[in-house]
Amino acid sequence: MSGVDALRSVGLRTAPTTRGLRRWLLRPEAPAAVFLVVLLAAFSLAADRFLSPDNLESILVQVAVLGIIALAVNQVILAGEIDISVGSMLGLCAVAVGTVATATGGLLAPLAAGVATGVLTGAVNGLLVTLGRIPSIIVTLGMLYALRGVILLLTGGTWITQIPDETRVLGLAKLAGVSLPVFVMFALFLIVNAVSRNSTWGRDVFAVGGNRRAARLAGLAIDRTRLLAFALVGAFVGIAATIYVGRAGSVQTNAGEGLELQVIAAVVIGGTSIAGGRGSALAPVIGAVLIGVILNGMILVGVPGVWQSAVLGALILLAVTTDALRRRLVGGAA
Amino acid sequence: MSANQLRALDVLKGVRFTRELVLLCLLIVLVVVLGQMSPVFFTVGNLLNTSRFFVEVGLIALGMTLIIITGGIDLSVGAAMALVAVTVGLAHQSGVPMALALVLGLAVGLAAGLFNGLMITRLDLHPLVVTLGTFALFRGIALGVSGGGAVSSFPQWFEYFGQFYLGPVPGQLFVFIAAVTAVWLLLSRTPFGRYVYAIGNNEEAARFSGVPVRRVKVVLYTGIGVLVSMAAVIYTSRVSTSRADFGAGLELDVISAVVLGGASIYGGSGTIAGTVLGVVIIATLRNGLSLAGVETTWQVFLLGVLLIAAVFVNEFFRRREE
Repeated sequence: MSGVDALRSVGLRTAPTTRGLRRWLLRPEAPAAVFLVVLLAAFSLAADRFLSPDNLESILVQVAVLGIIALAVNQVILAGEIDISVGSMLGLCAVAVGTVATATGGLLAPLAAGVATGVLTGAVNGLLVTLGRIPSIIVTLGMLYALRGVILLLTGGTWITQIPDETRVLGLAKLAGVSLPVFVMFALFLIVNAVSRNSTWGRDVFAVGGNRRAARLAGLAIDRTRLLAFALVGAFVGIAATIYVGRAGSVQTNAGEGLELQVIAAVVIGGTSIAGGRGSALAPVIGAVLIGVILNGMILVGVPGVWQSAVLGALILLAVTTDALRRRLVGGAA
Repeated sequence: MSANQLRALDVLKGVRFTRELVLLCLLIVLVVVLGQMSPVFFTVGNLLNTSRFFVEVGLIALGMTLIIITGGIDLSVGAAMALVAVTVGLAHQSGVPMALALVLGLAVGLAAGLFNGLMITRLDLHPLVVTLGTFALFRGIALGVSGGGAVSSFPQWFEYFGQFYLGPVPGQLFVFIAAVTAVWLLLSRTPFGRYVYAIGNNEEAARFSGVPVRRVKVVLYTGIGVLVSMAAVIYTSRVSTSRADFGAGLELDVISAVVLGGASIYGGSGTIAGTVLGVVIIATLRNGLSLAGVETTWQVFLLGVLLIAAVFVNEFFRRREE
């Protein structure tokens, strides 16, 4: 932010009556939350079926995979890096889950295989970024394409079908009337939220992303902090892959294609700054739900599916524009 | 060590191992190896024909080089190419004269680039997130307005842009050579070129020195929009079709070529000669692998690994130089 903007923001900051409102507006998720409420109202007026409990639950089930991955990618972005390899990573983890599931059955073994594959791939990303000192955008762009090749090598281009029912539990079962994917998403959100606010690593992530040089001078282990964030993405992609396989019942070689865009959209729409250091664990969840609501509402009001990508792009641009303008008006820390 | 050997070492030290020289050696090795893998590869016809396929990537890579030198990036080029192609196709289909349809396409490409540039400079947004947004937006609009359909009944003369040959030399190679010369002159012989390097080395310092940082950036992103339009027209003419899925993954080829050519992704360094070599190496690799019967997915896999390796080697040597 330029000096002039900073001065202007100091001028605005002195008005006492707006302090409560401003503090609320300063929360990174505020615009997305307002937008979500407006959208819910608009869609419920436009389509009768929209507000039914069944429809609302199906929206949450549909965004569970997206939300879980976005929760982890959010930590990477908070740490000042980016991960655009998650689409291919989900495909690879799904292949691992599917292969183990058809071989051994059960839920724990496939889940463990998926998470292990994810952590390994995430660690490779993290090591290339930290030890290899290659920018994360390049590492994960390269991995986005390279991992597709690995998937083809492992599957030979054929689908994995006949996933046993006991493996599909995580995608299909309900617990106390709530679908398991939704349950898992909110459980993981609570964990990440607690870790992000209360653990050393959680605080380090904000410090490293906010000002890496200052974090290094303060003696923080910036490499270990970022490496852990990339590995966390892998672990969450592994969990998400198990849900994905459970819901789909098969694994296609193009599983997860284009997911990286939705994930980053969820994070920035939710209010986490792409520049790092500013945001919250709640942001990706709100962002993911917002995307789910829009895609669901579009179908209900009859917008053709070919427009999905355009809407997603417009949403990303709208979110970052709102964020930029809001920071100028309210004078929040850049 | 004998005196002769010492003298030979001195000669070697005299040769400056510039990045371009290393790339040239790599290209020669590549041509020899690929020549062994396929008998068709080593024919003049095939080598010239390869150039038909790299002109689109090459044109866009020229603009991308300048953008990456300023420390920026444009991920939306493939999507913008599809948008231009669809514009030209649909305009022609709805009865607009072909020449006017081409102008419309050019205008759309220019507007797309200008939009990126204004979003990045006016709102102080990171180019990565803006162009990721427009990556989805442009592709989405192209898909939406075309409904996923293809247009392929173009007039005869339109074939000139992508299928014309002067003797054995494909016509678009001349367009590429002209564009390379123009951008090279712009980057190495004008104040604008020095502004580009200045912004990449230290944007703050450049601004305080009176470099019109915002204007330079807007010009660069608009410029790549124009190059994307040219590439879209050549590509549409070459395959005689316009479809919304054109240019999917094109950004990978373009960015790989630029960083393989030695431009630092952190900004501040890069040359047109390096980028041209990067483009030729990637095109040769793709062509050679296709002729040797390697599947497209594997080519993309190799490209992904090559991208990571090229940046690693680049940054490794850059750190040693410093």
